[in-house]
Amino acid sequence: MRETDSAVVLETRGLEVATPAGVGGLRLGPVDWRVSSGELWVVAGPHGAGKTALLETLAGLIPAASGSVRVFGHPVQGSGDDETTLREARRRMGLVFDGNGRLLSALSVGENILLPWCYHRNAGPAEALTELEPLIRHLQLGSLLARNPASLGRSWSRRVALARCLALGPGLLLLDNPLAGLDAVHLRWWRGFLAEARAGHPILGGRPLAIVATTDAARPYLGMDPRFALADGGRWRILPGIDSVLSATGEDGTRNSG
Amino acid sequence: MASDPILPAREPGAAGSPGEDAGLLQELLEGWRNLTGLGAFTLITLATARLRFRENSRVVTPRIFGEIHRCGVRLLPLVGFLGVVLGLVFVGQTASLMEQIGAGNFTGTLMVTVFLREMVPMTAALVVLARVGTAAVIDLGTARALGEVEALEALGIDPIHYLVVPRVAGFAISVVSLSLYLLVVGLASGYAFAYARGLKASPIEFLTQVAGALHGLDFPLSALKTGIFGTLIGLVICYQGLARPLSLADVGAATTRTVAVCGVGCLLIDAAFIAVYLLL
Repeated sequence: MRETDSAVVLETRGLEVATPAGVGGLRLGPVDWRVSSGELWVVAGPHGAGKTALLETLAGLIPAASGSVRVFGHPVQGSGDDETTLREARRRMGLVFDGNGRLLSALSVGENILLPWCYHRNAGPAEALTELEPLIRHLQLGSLLARNPASLGRSWSRRVALARCLALGPGLLLLDNPLAGLDAVHLRWWRGFLAEARAGHPILGGRPLAIVATTDAARPYLGMDPRFALADGGRWRILPGIDSVLSATGEDGTRNSG
Repeated sequence: MASDPILPAREPGAAGSPGEDAGLLQELLEGWRNLTGLGAFTLITLATARLRFRENSRVVTPRIFGEIHRCGVRLLPLVGFLGVVLGLVFVGQTASLMEQIGAGNFTGTLMVTVFLREMVPMTAALVVLARVGTAAVIDLGTARALGEVEALEALGIDPIHYLVVPRVAGFAISVVSLSLYLLVVGLASGYAFAYARGLKASPIEFLTQVAGALHGLDFPLSALKTGIFGTLIGLVICYQGLARPLSLADVGAATTRTVAVCGVGCLLIDAAFIAVYLLL
């Protein structure tokens, strides 16, 4: 019902993702998938299943082996994709990378956050700071702006990477393993953020965001009512509920590791 | 000496073995691939600079000034010191010696042919390459290896426009400006040294001699040559650091390659300009 009720933000058809192990022929797919605004999708699967490659393919960073991806109707992969459509699509989606979020080490935290806004609006840092100050405050990053990204812990780096993505006001958020390795305080904050972003927060323009998050473990998403997909052994499956995900990822203790 | 237990002992006279021939062929192919890759990268950079000249200027222009500061302004003390040294070693000694052997009339010609056309551009280019270029390859290569370039792309920021164009422009402008600065300092310190050793010509006479030996195209050609040196260094740095997938372990090798390619490239360009000067 949700898919038909709200606007489709991301659509893939027959998408085959070439994973890093794909040199040997392993691919993830076919992925036939629709993500609408206000939805939180959790893509679970073991390490090396191609979840990161899936996000990078959706963002147009690595070419798909086959199939198509459209973001807000703009072709990102497949027929019709070109530099202009790709740039337009990227302005409307944000990708937070795994680990420290790949912040630019040559810039300060503040410059990292302001850069996309300055670049796309052709504006100076002072203007950008005025515009983005509520977002920075909401993400509790005000005291970190002058710091070097290398001096931040992973939890804060990831939040800075999130702020950098949100600066452009995206309608689609792609988060690579956002809850991995967080302490209890950061985990609570992220869960709260995902809930409010999905519902539509005034800081984020008030409109519901579509969110895709990958994870090795589905348990941190308990109680958030997400939709689940599983990437495992090159196969892509939409799963009906949390129990089937816990079973598939071995978090219910039924699956042998290794 | 005991032979290496892991590596097989090298047989005498095996230098031209089929295995080594294949290795040489592979290196030549790799060199050709690098050359064509650099050519393609140059065209993409020039096209980006031309098509997006005015776009995002409030972000890109400050980056160009930043590069000029890093490659040019911060090198002024070092280049000034080199200018004084070159002035003493070459300009001063030559002017003094020419006067002693009664060939003072040829001092200007020597200054223009050797100092202005050859020593100054090459010295400025090599200083920028050694002092800033190597560090820039390490910076870019590390950023590439850590995935920061993909992060820029994901934000819709063109890495060529944001990272490469300002660097190439900064290097080109810096090498041209530093060459001019090196020329002035070198001539001034050289004259001072020669005067202390008994040169009779006044500063005006000395400069008149140098100016009289100049060809009308000398300054435009020197500016063009140093501009090409700077552009080449900037392009090679960005190509080696950014254009190819790197791991952190590859960054050192990329830096060494950059120095070698830039050195050979500058010498080849210099040789081409010598041919042009011979036609003047």
